[in-house]
Amino acid sequence: MSDPQTEVLSQAFELGFTYTRSTGPIVGRFLTGLRDRQIVGIRGSDGRVIVPPMEYDPVTAAALDEFVPVGQRGEVTTWSWVKYPREKHLLDHPFAWALIQLDGADIPMLHMVDAGDESVMKTGMKVEVRWADEPRGHISDIACFVPFVEEA
Amino acid sequence: MAELAAVIGIGQTKYQTKRGDVSIAGLVREAAQNALIDAGLEWRDIDAVVIGKAPDMFEGVVMPETYLTDALGCNGKPMLRVHTAGSVGGSTALVAASHVQSGVFKRVLTVTFEKQSESNAMWALSNPHPFSPHLNAGAGGYFAPIIREYIRRSEAPYDAGIKVAVKDRKHALRNPLAHLQLPDISMEMVEQSPMLWEPLRFLESCPSSDGACALVIAAEDLATQAPKKPAWIRGGAMRSEPTMYAGREEVNPQAGRDCAKDVYSQAGVTDPRRDLDCAEVYVPFSWYEPMWLENLGFAPEGEGWKLTMEGATSLDEGGDIPWNCSGGVLSSNPIGASGMIRFAEAARQVRGDADDHQVEGAKLALGHAYGGGAQFYSMWIVGSEKP
Repeated sequence: MSDPQTEVLSQAFELGFTYTRSTGPIVGRFLTGLRDRQIVGIRGSDGRVIVPPMEYDPVTAAALDEFVPVGQRGEVTTWSWVKYPREKHLLDHPFAWALIQLDGADIPMLHMVDAGDESVMKTGMKVEVRWADEPRGHISDIACFVPFVEEA
Repeated sequence: MAELAAVIGIGQTKYQTKRGDVSIAGLVREAAQNALIDAGLEWRDIDAVVIGKAPDMFEGVVMPETYLTDALGCNGKPMLRVHTAGSVGGSTALVAASHVQSGVFKRVLTVTFEKQSESNAMWALSNPHPFSPHLNAGAGGYFAPIIREYIRRSEAPYDAGIKVAVKDRKHALRNPLAHLQLPDISMEMVEQSPMLWEPLRFLESCPSSDGACALVIAAEDLATQAPKKPAWIRGGAMRSEPTMYAGREEVNPQAGRDCAKDVYSQAGVTDPRRDLDCAEVYVPFSWYEPMWLENLGFAPEGEGWKLTMEGATSLDEGGDIPWNCSGGVLSSNPIGASGMIRFAEAARQVRGDADDHQVEGAKLALGHAYGGGAQFYSMWIVGSEKP
């Protein structure tokens, strides 16, 4: 039996280390492309264009190397509205996390849509890139996507 | 074990300080691809993948196996991750072997890696604990007092460790994949290198390396069809014990002795120095050669250093039981892979495929790994002939 007088101690404990990451030639090419405001995907063995590019084919495991430039406009395939952004979110007002299939790509990628209001968001809606003012080779060089209305 | 299994493909990367040109996926891929080429196989020929690496905190990639499935061609196939600290390279090979020995799989790819240049291994294995001061000891600091006790008990000459450090670096000069290439290595150079964790000097310690190692293990019927000579797995064993308990024998741990006894019994080895042709043993700090010579039964307790000093473990001195002909962990240390490199190098020897560090006519070889606070052991014996 434990002694009811014994204090059970606990202590705040923080653990952290610093690391480096090398992107390798495939993801590296995608990120340096963003720096020049270009988006590249990669062609898989089944002909599909994958964005962001993968190093190895998900079907055959072959090393992939055929880069394919894709468009800066695309279509939202699904989304989730963030009504109350938190401090670490990159947008300080309500926005949507969305899967966006860029023109020329066959696989959607995750990013943000700055739509202003939830009522604007629709699966199948068209969006286009809003670039950061000073791209630096980082996924946030795409500041976000914004709704795009094709001219009649 | 039920089914016979053999190593039919071996792939390694060149071990070096930094592989900034590739991602972690690119690094493991290179070793795996080399193993498939060695085995004359394609990705589709593999039934299952077993991967191992040191703790996630080393690189800070949590469960890297989830992101490495594409690189290792195991989409749609079973994949398993093995965790046993520094011994993981050895235990991963044994888990892969048991996949085949069980009769469940015919051909298994197994891969281990570490990218130390992007990691924080030194401090991630010596992390602070609540309610305690942070010792900041690292692996060398942990093992130094155990080595001190070995020297006291065995009355070994002070330069036995220095001799091992020179011997393994001379071996490394025969192996182009080895990280450290020190053509001018000498007893004097090691002795004059800075004291890191007394009595361990800088040059008596392993380097930090980037690298990966892979094996293809196949069932008997497929192994006999392989394009190159198979290395038959004649025995495999693992043992573990707690890091600390009252009365623990840390110089000559029980788990290591038991593991050796088990693997020798499977392979019909009664006198390891006589029956084995060579050994690849996990020696990250010089003094662990004489200590493991005793723990593994190559020498009576207290006399391991005599084999080292008389050159018995040296290929260059024509020793009768060369240890770590590849240069060993003292010459290349991508931690998670280091145990598998020992297993792979033992297999290279019995395949007669070890190039300039080949032990002539090697027929039976030991691969050994240890990890944690010298508490996890994995060993296998591979042979040029079927049992």
